[in-house]
Amino acid sequence: MERLKSQRLMLGLASLGGMVLSYTLLSHSHLLRPEIVPPAREIAVAFSELVVGTRPPPPMEGDVHAGHQMHSSDHVGTLLQQGVTLQGSLAITAARVLFGLAAGVPLGILLGLLMGFSRRADDYLHPIYVLLRSVPPLALITYVMLWLGHSEAHRLIPIVYAVAATMVIPAYHGARDVLGTYVLAARSLGARRWLLIRKVLVPAAGPTVLAGLRYAVAIAWMTAVGSEMLMSENGMGNLIVGGGLWASRTQTKADPAVVIVGIVALATAGWAMDALARAGTARLTRWVR
Amino acid sequence: MLPRNKKNNFFFGPGIRTRTARGLLSLGALAIVYGVAAEIGRGRLPDRIWLGTHYVENVQLLPPYGSLAEEAVFLLQSGILLSSIAVSAGRVLLGFMLGAAFGILLGIATGRATRAEYLADPWVTFFRFTPALALLPLYVLWFGYGEGTKILLVASSVAVVTLLGAHQGVRSVPRVYLDAASALGAGPGLAFRKIVLPAALPHIFASLRIGLGLAWVTIVVAELIDARMPSLGYLLTLAGGYPRVSTMVVGIATIGALVLAFDLFALSVHARATRWMRRTG
Amino acid sequence: MTGPAPRLDAVDVGYTYPGDTPTQALESVNLTVQDSEFVALLGPVGCGKTTLLRILAGFLRPTKGAVRCDGAEVDGPSPQRGYVLQEDAIFPWMTVRENVEFGLLARGMPPAARVEVSSELIRLIGLSRFADAHPKELSAGMSKMVEVARVLAIDPAILLLDEPFGALDAQTRARMQDELARLWERRRKTVLFVTHDAEEALYLADRIVVLSSRPGRVEADIPVELPRPRSLESRFSPAFSALKRRIWETLS
Repeated sequence: MERLKSQRLMLGLASLGGMVLSYTLLSHSHLLRPEIVPPAREIAVAFSELVVGTRPPPPMEGDVHAGHQMHSSDHVGTLLQQGVTLQGSLAITAARVLFGLAAGVPLGILLGLLMGFSRRADDYLHPIYVLLRSVPPLALITYVMLWLGHSEAHRLIPIVYAVAATMVIPAYHGARDVLGTYVLAARSLGARRWLLIRKVLVPAAGPTVLAGLRYAVAIAWMTAVGSEMLMSENGMGNLIVGGGLWASRTQTKADPAVVIVGIVALATAGWAMDALARAGTARLTRWVR
Repeated sequence: MLPRNKKNNFFFGPGIRTRTARGLLSLGALAIVYGVAAEIGRGRLPDRIWLGTHYVENVQLLPPYGSLAEEAVFLLQSGILLSSIAVSAGRVLLGFMLGAAFGILLGIATGRATRAEYLADPWVTFFRFTPALALLPLYVLWFGYGEGTKILLVASSVAVVTLLGAHQGVRSVPRVYLDAASALGAGPGLAFRKIVLPAALPHIFASLRIGLGLAWVTIVVAELIDARMPSLGYLLTLAGGYPRVSTMVVGIATIGALVLAFDLFALSVHARATRWMRRTG
Repeated sequence: MTGPAPRLDAVDVGYTYPGDTPTQALESVNLTVQDSEFVALLGPVGCGKTTLLRILAGFLRPTKGAVRCDGAEVDGPSPQRGYVLQEDAIFPWMTVRENVEFGLLARGMPPAARVEVSSELIRLIGLSRFADAHPKELSAGMSKMVEVARVLAIDPAILLLDEPFGALDAQTRARMQDELARLWERRRKTVLFVTHDAEEALYLADRIVVLSSRPGRVEADIPVELPRPRSLESRFSPAFSALKRRIWETLS
């Protein structure tokens, strides 16, 4: 068992290292156009500049290819002028994600549990829920903006909407699954409404709901980045498209090095949040066999 | 002991007729609420709105049914709506098929082979947490704007989900089935075709259904960002430019209806393919 | 030794589960099953019965000793030894007929011949009406009989059954025992049947091998000379009770 684990870790690390190494070799080999596949060094430079927030004075002029030097200075330079840093953008996006989860998760769970536990509520609400769920949250963004103007709210609403719509499903199924056996068992033990909900229904539906939570975290990141790409002057979505608004965004000359830095940062942040959610889930559902 | 409140009980609940009636009732109520709100709102809701950079005038935030119907008829008769649907649905379908084929094949491969899984693991984890939308600028840089980028983006978001579904499906095939098959003399090939694949199928189908939903989310964003060709995203962008809310609402409703139709289709295929399962629904 | 080689011959078989705390499941088991014999392997829960059966089926390699089947060393699962697992292993995505035909498909038998074999077996277990139904329509007992029929279809040298009726209620269990006995009267297969139920062992077997609790050893080898076919009367006969008493004494 131990050996298997360490073998797994070694192979995983080897695979990561191998990929990074082969990318470095390939991108420096002059086989591919650097404005399409940025050299690994350029990615590292973009990363460090975006973290530090300033650009060091150019070391030696002749050392750098004139073409993509200009290209990369475009995107990173613009961002730095606006005072954008990688960690700052990540924090803004993460804050939006967290807000979306904080508002959307309870909303979705409440609705899901209500529909799962009460057939009457299910009959009345399910058709409406199906209609609402079918509309991609980001398709609403233009309409929401008309109501609320250009503000933070219309970036947050699609995230809340997406998270809530996602959380309804596991809560609903969790509730339906426990209804049969556990509820009858608990009722026959004399449990009344509140005790039933607190001690039986919520803990029994818990694991399904928490499993759905991990999925909601991924949806929240996706929606947040999407809405930032569409209309926001900050956050990771803005960082990778390089500013601009609406259709004008299609004209920007984004630097692939910045985009790659952004993608890696987003993947890492998503992974970290998922690891937290998983750890929390494991603690809360220790009793699951 | 029978529960006291028999009327509102899950096991002795009302029949399908009552349930359908309730559903229709609430949908009807929703429609009426909208109609009444649109009437009350007429002339009362603000019609001049600040959009961060400029004001827009003559906005009808809740267009009444009359103007919605008028708009729908116009969009249908001019052919814009149908060609938009065709373009967007075509992109979704093509991207979905490409992404699903790639994701399922890779997921099965990584689920089957232990070593390959270890090698692929960090990459699966990496792409799993990459919001597929973030790949858009990269694809634009690589392939420019156009069909290829949009289809590739849809394929990417579908591939991630189906890869995980197929991977987990293959991994979670109960040991007993494989043991029983090999005791009956099945070699690896037959065991794969007749045991692993069917047992993994529910997982794969569940991920396909999620992937189809994600495909629509992805294409809407891609079309909103690169709104040139006639497409549903283009329709929304155009409506946002004027702004013309009735166009917007018709566009949103069309997207919703398409997503719903695709989902119902996926659900019926899923149900059909997993009829053998002990628990249905 | 005279006569042909025994169907199954386990010599000095021992098994220790590896791990942080190695567990010795089997100490040293010697077991011989002759052709057309119905042997029950009886022992308390956790005595290593299933471990022994998995070794005989070829899913586990013994850490000590060796197993021979029809004179050939056992080194891996083979349709020569039809193994019915303790768990539900009927393939739920296949119909009853597809389940029964699976081993024949693995052998590459043409469809027409497969149908012939499966129809006969499905009729024998009384499920002709359900031949094209999925297992979800069957009761737990009938699912298990399909698993037995599935193994019989490939005509193995010996049938290894691991507590097939363990999860059933008493009445269904008795009915399934009758079904199995009837099937055995027809086919006269060599059977090794694992159970923790002394009465089940007595009702079905020609011979009962009692295993001690962990680490498993052969505690007793008791021939059951009750007349066949057995029926409800056999279960209440004095000979039955006497044997049952003897087994109880061995077990405690």
